[in-house]
Amino acid sequence: MSGRFKQDPPSSASSDSGGEDGSVLQMKEDEVDIDMAENEESQPTSPRPPSAGPQTNPTQAAVRSPRNRRQRTTSQSQTTRIREPILRGRRRTIYTAGRPPWYDCQGQLVEPFVIGVCGGSASGKTTVARKIIEELDVPWVTLLSLDSFYKVLTEKHHEEAARNEYNFDHPDAFDFELVVKTLSRLKEGKKVEVPIYNFVTHRRETKTKTMYGANVIIFEGILAFYSPEVLKLLDMKVFVDTDSDERLVRRLRRDIADRGRELDGVLKQYFKFVKPAFDYYIAPSMVHADIIVPRGGENEVAINLIAQNVMTQLQQRGFKLREKLAHANFGMSRPNSLHLLPSTPQIRGLHTFIRNKDTPRDEFIFYSKRLIRLVIEHALALLPFTDVIVETPQGVPYEGKRIATEKICGVSILRAGETMENALCEVLKDVRIGKILIQTNLDTGEPELYYLRLPKDIKDYHIFLMDATVATGAAAIMAIRVLLDHEVPEDHISLCSLLMTEQGVHNIAYAFPKVRIVTTAVDPCVNEKFYIVPGIGNFGDRYFGTEPSTDQ
Amino acid sequence: MGTMSEVVTSRPPAFEKKATTSQIPLSDKQKANTCSDQQNTQCSEKCDPNSSLQPVESFGPYFRLIPMSGQVKELQTIIRDKNTSRSDFKFYADRLIRLVVEEGLNQLPYSDLTITTPTGCQYKGLQFVKGNCGVSIVRSGEAMEQGLRSCCRSIRLGKILVESDLDTHEAKVVYAKFPEDISQRKVLLMYPIMSSGNTVIKAVNVLQEHAVDEANIILLNLFSTPAAARTITNAFPKMHILTSEVHPVAPNHFGQKYFGTD
Repeated sequence: MSGRFKQDPPSSASSDSGGEDGSVLQMKEDEVDIDMAENEESQPTSPRPPSAGPQTNPTQAAVRSPRNRRQRTTSQSQTTRIREPILRGRRRTIYTAGRPPWYDCQGQLVEPFVIGVCGGSASGKTTVARKIIEELDVPWVTLLSLDSFYKVLTEKHHEEAARNEYNFDHPDAFDFELVVKTLSRLKEGKKVEVPIYNFVTHRRETKTKTMYGANVIIFEGILAFYSPEVLKLLDMKVFVDTDSDERLVRRLRRDIADRGRELDGVLKQYFKFVKPAFDYYIAPSMVHADIIVPRGGENEVAINLIAQNVMTQLQQRGFKLREKLAHANFGMSRPNSLHLLPSTPQIRGLHTFIRNKDTPRDEFIFYSKRLIRLVIEHALALLPFTDVIVETPQGVPYEGKRIATEKICGVSILRAGETMENALCEVLKDVRIGKILIQTNLDTGEPELYYLRLPKDIKDYHIFLMDATVATGAAAIMAIRVLLDHEVPEDHISLCSLLMTEQGVHNIAYAFPKVRIVTTAVDPCVNEKFYIVPGIGNFGDRYFGTEPSTDQ
Repeated sequence: MGTMSEVVTSRPPAFEKKATTSQIPLSDKQKANTCSDQQNTQCSEKCDPNSSLQPVESFGPYFRLIPMSGQVKELQTIIRDKNTSRSDFKFYADRLIRLVVEEGLNQLPYSDLTITTPTGCQYKGLQFVKGNCGVSIVRSGEAMEQGLRSCCRSIRLGKILVESDLDTHEAKVVYAKFPEDISQRKVLLMYPIMSSGNTVIKAVNVLQEHAVDEANIILLNLFSTPAAARTITNAFPKMHILTSEVHPVAPNHFGQKYFGTD
């Protein structure tokens, strides 16, 4: 099983530039908007968050119905709708552009709440899933569909499928081992590669969809309750029980009216496979359900009940991160993982230049570059070295040292972190640079992950995570969390910055005690705008010259 | 030269003792540092800033080493390794030079200054005092000019050319050009490799002829032999000397490899 799972990512990496090594985080907009995601072809028209690359939609594959064998060029109403990064529901606003924190204020993963939605074909599972998401007051939901896990067909099965004689409704048609593996990893907050099943060729696409764990994961499918291992992973099991006549009517309408299929073929398939599968496998699985929703998505009472129950369970796991971090109170002694540069006259002098609000930009850039170089050199000196003996031109062997980790990768947190990339390149030849964009949501004050581009084999590297200033540490914690989710060992991360706050240091050190924190100064606190006091101001704005005109 | 050798012979016991205990004469601090990298980093963390520059005991209070780390050792290793390509050599030599220069600048005078930050708060910082200059000893000292310029964009640079007689190893000043008011300035004297120390002695003599006080000179050096260190500190006990390593073997190929004339 694991062998199969591991087969997928390499192929994905080769063809999907956004798949393995880079992942634009834009799931929520799709998860919230399930109908949209159902249409694979709609992707080019789908609005992208800022700086979105060619990343494919992580959930598009996840929501296709098994009957979507024909490619559709139009989908339901949502495809053409102009979508803003904020989705306003009836009771709340869902932010759909960046990824908000998926861990608690100690940086530890909050185990996602997994809801299984099962029901017969055309019973309205996706509608129910969508309505649950709308009702839930959580910022980040991942929708995983059993349809992504169809097995790759053999030649023989392929011919049967062409004649409508392959049983897509039988449990044998699904790769449940991979389902378990994927769900388990999502529960751990790890990155997963979800296969994209091509319903025309009945093969997995070479591309895969990158998905991450979330606050809530919804897993839906006709046989969602079939595997006992999958059942164990579900925190709540919802069965959508729609009258079989109504399901047949919906199926007929969908296949004939929307997809132009022949009545005979649809009925043949229905009576040969779909109905028996429901009777033998799906209906009996109803006993596992915690909640049975009659009449599907129209049943608002049931959906409200589900949402309320989920919210109660989630409430203990609060996500108000930055605010919590800013007010977290820690003891006075500084953690051992903090490596503060000695406060030499040069460093204090450089700080005087870059902290002064009247310093002209060219001096600001020059002196901050000098300071950055010192930080990077200091951080490098903290890495492990091994003893070597080299030959010298003088003929006397020299007992020296070489760095133990050849593979070093810089990861800058956009935008201020990018100012430090150059210094890293100046001290390390051919160093790789990854980037992470995290922005503060102005409405919630929470950091949100927008963009991610990392080397494929990042787990093998020692990471120099760079951000010019660290106030509450919210962005840095998110970036570290991302790296950990990419399986970078915690002690292979060095966080380099010019200026931090006491709180930021404590928050990061408390959350990730093995991460080396390297900085040149630690200021006492942050102000109400999350600026460091006395601080440098907005480092990125001053370096790149994008201060608001009122400041000048 | 005669007086010089007298000075050397006047203090051999200290060095002999060191040399017998260790092939590489390191101070105790350094020995502790090289034991384990982990300890090393721990140690450099806990040192208070003023003591981060360790005076090397036998060479007086003004002779200091830059803070030792596995990384500095690696740079030294690459520079000494005869299999290092020239491009690597120059790249890593420049890094080591930058570290020495940054550390050397800490010896320069400064005054307190309180400024206002963009958040409207006060920050008690400091201001570098103007009136410094760099003097490189041609040719290898010129390799360090760029490192100095990277930190001090418009610093004035003087030059001294000292040639040593191949047979007698006697150093002779061929050329010297300084800023006019050099006697009023702090002088960062740059010379990367010292094996006998004679070249630096000559250069400092020239500076003294231009009325530069020896206490105003900061010698920036990468590699020094114990003999050179002793020679220099005895000749100019008040001159500040900063180096990265004291080792009996000097990497004399430095200038040739850096400038590519080997």
